Formats: sequence, structure tokens, C-alpha cells
Amino acid sequence: MSLFKKMRAVFHDDWCSQCQAVMEVVHKQLYALPTMTVGHYHSHDDADYYKANLVKVNKKAEIPTGMYACGMHVYRCKECGHRAVKLTVFLPVRDQEKQEQLLYFDNGEMDDFIYR
Amino acid sequence: MEEDKKMKKVNIGYVLAYIFIPVLIVIACGAVAAAMDTTGSLAVVLLFVPIVLAVAWWSFGGNFFYDKKKEAFEKSLDAQGFVRNQTFNGGNCLVAVDIEHGKIAVLFRWNMFQPYIFSAKRIQKTWVDDGRGGAGFMEGSSRVSFLFTVDDIKIRVNTFTSNKRWRMDSNYILTGISKADMMVEILNSAKAKG
Repeated sequence: MSLFKKMRAVFHDDWCSQCQAVMEVVHKQLYALPTMTVGHYHSHDDADYYKANLVKVNKKAEIPTGMYACGMHVYRCKECGHRAVKLTVFLPVRDQEKQEQLLYFDNGEMDDFIYR
Repeated sequence: MEEDKKMKKVNIGYVLAYIFIPVLIVIACGAVAAAMDTTGSLAVVLLFVPIVLAVAWWSFGGNFFYDKKKEAFEKSLDAQGFVRNQTFNGGNCLVAVDIEHGKIAVLFRWNMFQPYIFSAKRIQKTWVDDGRGGAGFMEGSSRVSFLFTVDDIKIRVNTFTSNKRWRMDSNYILTGISKADMMVEILNSAKAKG
């Protein structure tokens, strides 16, 4: 694979990190993050933290004002079958979102949480 | 603590003392130095040190004492069984909310010797001011605050201030709006319980 394609994969989150093919979104879910409220945000990279604290919600309106939220995208590569999870941590503010952190889990760290 | 007394955001006596007592001390020291015709280190102490102390007082002294008062106020609230579900420090005003008992506690920077605790039912109106101004690409804000009125007295608590205008979708403004929205919601919850 050319260097150019590898660089594109880094910046293109729906591209497979193994074969650089475009992955499909197989699951999307919104979560509330009750442990973090506005003004008290601390970044976490550990999948265990999110597995312990994410609370499933159906729509953004269910998340209390000032509470952080987390959008989850589960990707699957059509070519090689590789799976990846993207977590977007953000603060919902009226009709806007203040994005705090983007996390990628490529090695199945979130699998037991998603498929429990 | 004042439970029902009408609130005063500013104690004029304290503000005047804060501004003018250092000035009077500097003038008095200068007068003493002139009267005694001092020279050398005594002149330095009488003329220079009071000015340094006055500037230090205006720069740090007021903040230092306000911080100490806030700490003492929070401790006294805890000791009284006031459940601080949310405490917001807006720079010139500290607001603590006890949703369970429907009570609000307020300490104003310029009236720090007079803390107030009152029923949240006395709140007449709550709202958020996002400070939006300008038009087109100049649209933005330099201040976001939440406001509430108690006995027709408007209390403004800033959640964000800046000396420049920020776009309405900037992280600073969004954070300020989120804090203000949250505080308004909490105040309304306390009012419903009060």
C-alpha cells in the first residue's frame, strides 16, 4: 500500500487500518456520560472507563443539560472483516456540540460492551 | 445569615473602604514623612512601602479575602446541613443551590460580610444571556451569564467573560452557555422544590 493511501487512512476514520478499504457503519449508538459535567471534563483513553460509565440513551434530548455525551460508531471492513469502534466525546449545547475527544479502538477493546 | 432580608449586592461602605483606606494611609504616611522631614530608610518606609502595599491590596488583597470568605461560607453551609447540590463561583458572586430543601445561598464579592440564604420560591425569573452581538461574520459574544431575580433584584452571574469577542460556536462560548443553561435548570428545580 502506498504511503499516500496510508496517510489518507489516518485522516479518514471510516477507512480500514488494515487494508485501507472503506468500512461500513454497522452500528451507531448515543450514550450519556454522567461522570462528567461541564467544567469538570477530564480526558480518558481507557476503554474500561467508557465501558463502566456509558449510559445508553435514545436521543440527545434525554441527556441532562451540562452532561457530556458520547457517540459510538462501530465500523466493519467489507474487504477484510476488520472491526473498529470510534467514540466521540462531546458536550451537547442546545443545537450544537462541543467536541472534546475522538477515540479509536481497533483491537476489539469495546466488543464485550457492544455485544453483551 | 440573612433568611428573609432584602438583598444588597454592594456594600457601599466596604467599597469605599476598599478604595480609599489605602489612599488615606499613603497620604498619612506622606504627611508624617513631610512633617518629620525624614530622610534615608525611614523616608523609604514612609513614602514607598505604603504605595507598594496599597497596590498589592488593590491587586490581590480583595481577592484573597473574598476567597477566604467563600471558603468559610461554604463550610458554614455544610455545617448547617445545606446540601450543596451545585455551587457556582461566578467571580463576583457565589451561588450555591440546595435542590432537596429548595434553598439558595448567595455571597456577593462586594458585600462579602453579608451572606444570604433564602427559599428558592423567592426567585421570580431565571434566564440565560448569551451576550450575542454584532452581525454577519462579526457576530459573537464576550460574556455569557445566567440571571435570576429575587424580590425584583436582578442577580447576574457570569459563566464566561473575555476582553475580546468570540464566535458563537467557539468552545468558550459553548461551555459558558452550557454552564448557564445547567444553572438555570438547577435553580428552576430548586424553585419547584422550595
